[in-house]
Amino acid sequence: MLWLVRSAIVALYPSGGALPGAADCGLDGFLRRFRREAPALVWLGVVLGALVFHFSAFFTVFVPLPAFLLPAGLRDRHASRIASTNVYLARQGIFLVKLAAGLCWGADAEVRRRLALPPLPADPGTWRTS
Amino acid sequence: MRHVAFRAAGEGPLDGDFDFVVVGSGAGGASAAVTLARGGASVAVVEAGPWRDPSDYPSSAYGGMRDLMDDFGSQVAVGRALWPIVQARVVGGTTVINSAICVRTPGDIFAQWEAQHGLTGLEAPVRAAQERLERELSAEEAPEASRGRSNLLAKAGADGLGWSDSHYMVRYVKRCAGAGQCLQGCRGGQKQSLNLTFVPEVLSRGGTVLSCAPVERLVLDGRRAAGVRGRFVHPASRAKGASFFLRAKRAVVVAASATHSPVLLLRSGLKLPALGEFFRAHPGTGVFGNYDSPVDMNVGTTQGWASMAFRQAPGLKLETLAIPPELVASRLAGGGRELMERLTRYRHFAMWVHAVRAESTGTVKPSLFGRPVVRYTLDRPDMERFRQGMLLVARQHFAAGARSVIPGITGLPYELTADQLPLMESAPLDPRRYVAILSHLFGGCVMGRDEKTSVTDARGRVHGVQGLVVADASVIPTNLGVNPQHTIMGLAQVFAQALLDEGAPARPVPAGTVA
Ligand SMILES: Cc1cc2nc3c(=O)[nH]c(=O)nc-3n(C[C@H](O)[C@H](O)[C@H](O)COP(=O)(O)OP(=O)(O)OC[C@H]3O[C@@H](n4cnc5c(N)ncnc54)[C@H](O)[C@@H]3O)c2cc1C
Ligand code: SF4
Repeated sequence: MLWLVRSAIVALYPSGGALPGAADCGLDGFLRRFRREAPALVWLGVVLGALVFHFSAFFTVFVPLPAFLLPAGLRDRHASRIASTNVYLARQGIFLVKLAAGLCWGADAEVRRRLALPPLPADPGTWRTS
Repeated sequence: MRHVAFRAAGEGPLDGDFDFVVVGSGAGGASAAVTLARGGASVAVVEAGPWRDPSDYPSSAYGGMRDLMDDFGSQVAVGRALWPIVQARVVGGTTVINSAICVRTPGDIFAQWEAQHGLTGLEAPVRAAQERLERELSAEEAPEASRGRSNLLAKAGADGLGWSDSHYMVRYVKRCAGAGQCLQGCRGGQKQSLNLTFVPEVLSRGGTVLSCAPVERLVLDGRRAAGVRGRFVHPASRAKGASFFLRAKRAVVVAASATHSPVLLLRSGLKLPALGEFFRAHPGTGVFGNYDSPVDMNVGTTQGWASMAFRQAPGLKLETLAIPPELVASRLAGGGRELMERLTRYRHFAMWVHAVRAESTGTVKPSLFGRPVVRYTLDRPDMERFRQGMLLVARQHFAAGARSVIPGITGLPYELTADQLPLMESAPLDPRRYVAILSHLFGGCVMGRDEKTSVTDARGRVHGVQGLVVADASVIPTNLGVNPQHTIMGLAQVFAQALLDEGAPARPVPAGTVA
């Protein structure tokens, strides 16, 4: 499942442009942390979103293949179309995948440098114990 | 002085006796608790979330969701569309993640409460409480040096359009440094959230605070609230810990928020016809302006400018809001190379938002697992207001010099120039086409005189139950059309004072007797 989510994210936030893509932003570590720390229902939503992403290419680019088997150009067109689909629940599923990925991408030091933002210190994850 | 954080199951159950037990430490709970503690009563505050100080605050949006928000920020209102509900679960409640905007309750609201709900005698004491709160929590206008370009542009746009109100906001912030991080907690400690102010004061006055301690049920002794029961939950592993039982000699004050308070009362077996009904909100959304030169909206006060010009008609509040790149990424439409291209414009975006004074009502009821389920859909007039608000914000962007706006309405072009605004005017009113958020919530335990249509009286006392008061957003019976925390805090302090006044004179008690 992790692989499925990862490949949907990489297609939605591809590398190779002016900004780093999700794959350049420590995505694997982030996803492991996300799966461990997020409530089960949130993770389930992201997995369902990734499934929608991969198994809807027939409706966007009219090719009966999962998105991970599409050639790069076609997969990119699919990513653009499915993220703006008129089917509400499908769009919500993709939104969840984009949200999870955005949390990783937007916190990356190099992305932030390009956006003229200072790097983020690590989240301490601490609380008062007494 | 006693703060009990998580307590493991092996350490055995915890119980204690207090004059008052306050459930929740947010805007309502902490304000009520500090009033009770100042009155010399013994007070225990029981909070579901952990106590985090500024040095514990996360810096990333992910950390904010994990460490500060209720349920990872994943709660949604279920209706025609699924719109997220944002609240905190931490000592200090939503005041930790809010923008600290402080607006007095408008006079017309008290008049409306009196005329429609029979609520009298609230205006003068709430006003007095609000004046005191403003002094104690350092209500200040966003300082000039930290306003940031997005707020300055918003002011210029509104002034250019000749709006009757356009102002820099007053917030509970001491010398704001303009770090633009309010939503993840103010790490500089400038924001006077209640985990830094009233909750420590309760402790220093001999009160007790239980954190990581969600209350599961109120304990009722016939028609009297006798205390609360629950189990500690570890803030990282979510493992259940020891159970606790706190007895309240005088009253239990429930202030767990507009979603959790009605559900806690329902879970505890209370049966009142209006319990969980009349849920309301100020749904809101943002419109990005796309400017030629960088705006850098995350430099400067998170929310520094507002207009009340449209509060009465059509029923809107307009504000600025800075959101970090983590959230902009998912907020922009599209995916793939097209999305990455859009994100390169991030520095040029300014996000301004509206909050709709919606009249639609919904319900809050417990799920099978006891969690709040909110059912809520905006009716057509509210959706018209919603769209109209977006249009006003778009016009404001153009008046401030934006080259285009990004409305985020599915079915419309990604970006609109000024001459394309008619497309927005005629956008469909289906809520599923809009990205909205609910952050100002009301109702579920509304105040009123009639027991059939309300849950509490004008002092938050639950009808037909002795020693049970609700003191948070859930008692508010109407929308406000302004940011609600000042109203919630004012009401909570008035309710707490009424509790002190009605009982036997409180003895100054050094501390609760926690076993
Ligand atoms: C992002 C954001 C920005 C906002 N900005 C502003 C602003 O600038 N100005 C403004 O006026 N308003 C603002 N608001 C709204 C305002 O913060 C809330 O209306 C207000 O905090 C609600 O107060 P409350 O006491 O009802 O609930 P909360 O402040 O949410 O407090 C409820 C507390 O109860 C706890 N709790 C819940 N269930 C239990 C349980 N079973 N046992 C024990 N504890 C429990 C919760 O963990 C929480 O700490 C904002 C809201 C959000 C989400
Ligand atoms: S804008 Fe920054 S400094 Fe000002 S209150 Fe918010 S987080 Fe604190």
